[in-house]
Amino acid sequence: MRRPRGKLAVRAVAALLLLLVFLGAVFAGTLTPYSYAKQFRETPNSPPSSSHLLGTDGLGRDLFARVVYGTRVSLLLGPAAALIATAIAGLLGGFAALAGGWCERVILAAADLSMALPLFFVLVAFRAALPLDISPVVSIIATFLLLGLLGWSSALRVVWAASRDLRNSDFLLLARAAGCTRWRIVFRHVLPNLRPVLFAQFWIAIPVFILTEATLSMLGLGVMEPLPSWGNLLRGLEDFSIVAANPWRTVPLLLLVLVVICFQLVLPSQEESA
Amino acid sequence: MRTALQKLGLQLLLLAGLSLLGGLLGATLVRFAPGYGVDERELDPRLSEASINAIRNANRLNSSLLSYYGNYLAGAVRGDLGTSQWLDRPVSSLLRERFPVTARSVLFGIALAWALALAVSLASLLFWRSLFDVSGTILSGVLIALPAAVVAMFAVYLRAPAYAAVAAVTFPKIFRYLRNLLEHAYAQPYILAARARGIASTKILVSHVLPLASPALLALLGISLSIGFGAAIPIEALCDSPGLGQLAWQAALNRDLPLIVNLTLLITIFTVALNLLANVRSEKKA
Repeated sequence: MRRPRGKLAVRAVAALLLLLVFLGAVFAGTLTPYSYAKQFRETPNSPPSSSHLLGTDGLGRDLFARVVYGTRVSLLLGPAAALIATAIAGLLGGFAALAGGWCERVILAAADLSMALPLFFVLVAFRAALPLDISPVVSIIATFLLLGLLGWSSALRVVWAASRDLRNSDFLLLARAAGCTRWRIVFRHVLPNLRPVLFAQFWIAIPVFILTEATLSMLGLGVMEPLPSWGNLLRGLEDFSIVAANPWRTVPLLLLVLVVICFQLVLPSQEESA
Repeated sequence: MRTALQKLGLQLLLLAGLSLLGGLLGATLVRFAPGYGVDERELDPRLSEASINAIRNANRLNSSLLSYYGNYLAGAVRGDLGTSQWLDRPVSSLLRERFPVTARSVLFGIALAWALALAVSLASLLFWRSLFDVSGTILSGVLIALPAAVVAMFAVYLRAPAYAAVAAVTFPKIFRYLRNLLEHAYAQPYILAARARGIASTKILVSHVLPLASPALLALLGISLSIGFGAAIPIEALCDSPGLGQLAWQAALNRDLPLIVNLTLLITIFTVALNLLANVRSEKKA
């Protein structure tokens, strides 16, 4: 199928931007000489300058350093949570389709119920069960682990549908007739054919988890200070008078929006994948 | 008729099972959360040894998960959902107070989002396809890239009501599905034939397109309620709207587990019941 050149160009630009942001996050230490927690107490709320590219926040911390390190947290752990969710969806969805019977019905009913739940309420309830004064590193792990463990349901339906088609395929019938063991069928025939579906679900989940982390952190239930993430950097925008006087404070928001849009643009649409 | 009743009965049974399972999960969460059973009153130097022992004995009654869950269920049957540790008020009265505020925000917000999504989708199908399609896609693309909390923050900046923020969060998720559903319905050969015969667009829409798409639209309505209730937490927290979302946020910040677990359970049962109802209706129509 021929793809329109304009769409390909947009996708290439989005992929390039994502790559640049990702590299910036990985090599954060070389982009900025400051630590995300270092305070310049004599210059709080300073405007952008040659020493502080985006100025400093109310506690005198370099905003550029916090944005770069915050990008690392959000952009590395978002995919990690998406990987957990996709792995759960892959395992359960694949198992449901291949096992069939009551196993399939129970797993699908669980997925349907899970999709009907307001995920944010469930996340907040689970997060509230953990102590609030946990260390920043534990808060990152808890936040993204919860996202990964609770956000699998929509991917499961898609993986199940793809696995069910495979279950009824001629080549699997042939493999079974040829005496292939169950494990060989799963690892040699089913998983390679599910790879594009799993990758698409993984890719779709990343921006969803990044946005959910941002909302959780904005509410004080996500990544804890002094560790930066896009979410807790956005807490600085709550006071409109500060934003109006210091418009460069919106950089974390602009970066977040740019990255989420790029994630959406890079993935081919259903019609294009067909 | 009997099959429809059987289906409804099955869905109700499913809902009851889910409520029991959700209650058990909630009880497990409360019972095994770090710090469970620690009572600050034990540190009060004014209390005698006998009073402290009485508090410990009262807490010991709920020491096993099953006894805790049993007590919880027995209370729930009587309408007693426990007491909020943070506000020291009955959870049921807090839920009664706050539910109408959230229900109003979510229902108005979803109605607004559906009206907007329908208007843009239909305008792109019936009138000026490229203009409305592109503008709708750009608007939904930008809104979907914003965290719900940021949308709420913009609502505060603009002094917009909470339901407008709910609409802004729900719109992009509805619009994409809605547009695809209507586009698919419009592409059916018999609708093309109806258009070729010169039947008015509104008649085609009302008599042919909407009935065809209605099962999927009903299912989407159920999902949009879940999205709306999910968005209520950040929106009510930041817009200072005294509903269940704000209560859930404050309960989480104060680690008031009985309150947050009951709240989550209530919202879960409510949204799942609405989804099941939407599914029964859509299956009936299909």
